Amino acid sequence: MKRSYVIKRILYAVFIFFVVLTLNFFIPRLGVRDPAERYYPPQGSMSEIEYNIIKQFTRAQYGFDVSTFQQYLRYLRGLARLDLGTSLRSGSPKVTALIGERLPWTLVLSVTTLVISLSIGLLFGTLAAWRRGRWQDSLLLNASTVSVALPAFFIALMLSFYLGFELELFPAYTNPNMVAQFDWSWEAIQVVLNNAALPIMSMAMGGIVGYSQSTRNSVIAVTNEDFVITARAKGLSHTTVLYKHILRNAMLPLATSIGMSISGLIGGAIIIEQVFNWQGMGTLFLEANSTNDYPLMMGIMLFLSAFAILANLITELFYVILDPRVTVGDKR
Amino acid sequence: MSTRSILLQAARRGGSLFSLVKKLWEHPKGRLGLILVSLLVLVAALAPVLAPYDPYDVTQRAEKGLRPSLQHPLGTTITTGQDILSMLIYGSRVSLMIGIITGVILAFLGALMGVIAGYVGGFADTLIMRVVDIMLVIPTLPLIIVLTNLLGRSYFVIVLVFVVFGWTGLARVIRSLVLVLKNSNYVKAAELAGAGRWYIMTKHILPGTSHLIIMNTTLTCAGIMVAEAGLSFLGLGDPTAISWGKMLAEAQGGGALLFGAWWWILAPGAGIFLAVFSFMRIGIVMEEIFNPRMRASSSIYKIFKHLNNTYLDEVFRSMEDGEAEGQPFSSTPASEGVHD
Repeated sequence: MKRSYVIKRILYAVFIFFVVLTLNFFIPRLGVRDPAERYYPPQGSMSEIEYNIIKQFTRAQYGFDVSTFQQYLRYLRGLARLDLGTSLRSGSPKVTALIGERLPWTLVLSVTTLVISLSIGLLFGTLAAWRRGRWQDSLLLNASTVSVALPAFFIALMLSFYLGFELELFPAYTNPNMVAQFDWSWEAIQVVLNNAALPIMSMAMGGIVGYSQSTRNSVIAVTNEDFVITARAKGLSHTTVLYKHILRNAMLPLATSIGMSISGLIGGAIIIEQVFNWQGMGTLFLEANSTNDYPLMMGIMLFLSAFAILANLITELFYVILDPRVTVGDKR
Repeated sequence: MSTRSILLQAARRGGSLFSLVKKLWEHPKGRLGLILVSLLVLVAALAPVLAPYDPYDVTQRAEKGLRPSLQHPLGTTITTGQDILSMLIYGSRVSLMIGIITGVILAFLGALMGVIAGYVGGFADTLIMRVVDIMLVIPTLPLIIVLTNLLGRSYFVIVLVFVVFGWTGLARVIRSLVLVLKNSNYVKAAELAGAGRWYIMTKHILPGTSHLIIMNTTLTCAGIMVAEAGLSFLGLGDPTAISWGKMLAEAQGGGALLFGAWWWILAPGAGIFLAVFSFMRIGIVMEEIFNPRMRASSSIYKIFKHLNNTYLDEVFRSMEDGEAEGQPFSSTPASEGVHD
């Protein structure tokens, strides 16, 4: 039963990935029918023959020299070799190489943000659930309302202004030499941490509140379950019930949400990276946007989607393994 | 009391729009939300009357970078000397228009898709839920950026993109409620009495979901306003209009941080905060009115998930009782019968 479920979920994930990559192939073609006409429109001084040569050359350069279907096959063949295509930048770097260069820097931000917001969120969420209806709980509720209504980039601007420019505690803009000079020495790591402080703070603000809120809801849901009432009735102490019965079960949905959060954080970091000029995937994507570098944009999109699909799949499989209450097969 | 009976009760508690507004007014938190939203709408509608200066006037060389004073209550910009209060008043138009128009269209589309998926079932359900699954894994913000790049930067495109990619959340919520309503006695009775599918959908199912639709719409409006501000901040909004997000981008680009022009950053931020906050207030209070057991926090949680584009099923825990109805597909693992 379980094995057939696992195979089914994997096949479904592959199906979704296939649809997404097909969309990925066709979306830029909505806007760019013919790169020759788009990038090199005919000029008055040019003769017909000259322009035809330019046209053919451009089409070949962008891979538009064959029919759309053949282009699609070519794209699939490339993907099979883990090749996301070639960027239109000078020097024609591979999209995968560019992503590989920038991904670690985005991961520095998103993973640290995740760790910070998870650990504080767990603590505060449990506290709010434990003291349900008292001031800790209403503080969380108010903090939630406020933090949703304040966009992260506005918080980032305020932090950059106050902690960066006024108090000069942290660099208000990322040091442009940080990436080039990074050599794993202790000083270099310190520079990175120093520069990452403000972006992480602005991203963690919403994350802390979000995780507190979900922890609180999860803990309260478990608290109302029969086995907790039984444990209480047995005369177990509050702390034993909290750690052994409530938290263990309440952590489950949270633990499995981590995968999706990382992919969400990488995509969501775009605006924050832009505020601080942090050289990660987000700024790479915006650079690609401003230069109409569609292969690069779609490559990043496909990478993020694949990441989300994988995270989703792992989450689902983990759930089957971790939660004995999950019953599979008979319901679908 | 099972979740299902709570849902049925909530569905009946909806009532007419007028009684809803009355209930909101009687709720202390709801009253604040209502007042703030009406004020915002008034400000947006009367912008040309209320604005003390021309917000598009970029020629006031002598007035550059003035601190808040009696002449300029919120100061002026350091680059062009535009009056910030006037810009703020005009900016409310963009936020409200985009938020409300998108929210209303999304409500229609999401409800339609949800009702079709839930009530018609079969192939339609499969198709809609697969599309939902696909949309969930595509990163929203990058996709919106790609599409505005391809289709042009105008508010029409922005609303279109938000609509095409935003309906999935509401559709899922509505679908799970419809699955419950479908098996309720009054729908069964109508079916036995020989009522047609279309008749049952419009006369019995849709009214039962109206409370969820209205509540979700206010929360969606809030979410869309935040998203629009973000897009404008990235310079992807309509380049000709004044919006709060674009004001923030101009403030950053114009060196407001460097030269300590805090008023230039605080004003648009406060605008965004006020608009989103008041819409959320109404949504949260509605949730409390419709479903007292759900409490305020779950709707906040929902909007968090909305913003992160990851819908975990705990959000729907209190709503989703659909496993027993034999859901053919579920996109997230938590609905595997974990919480009943």
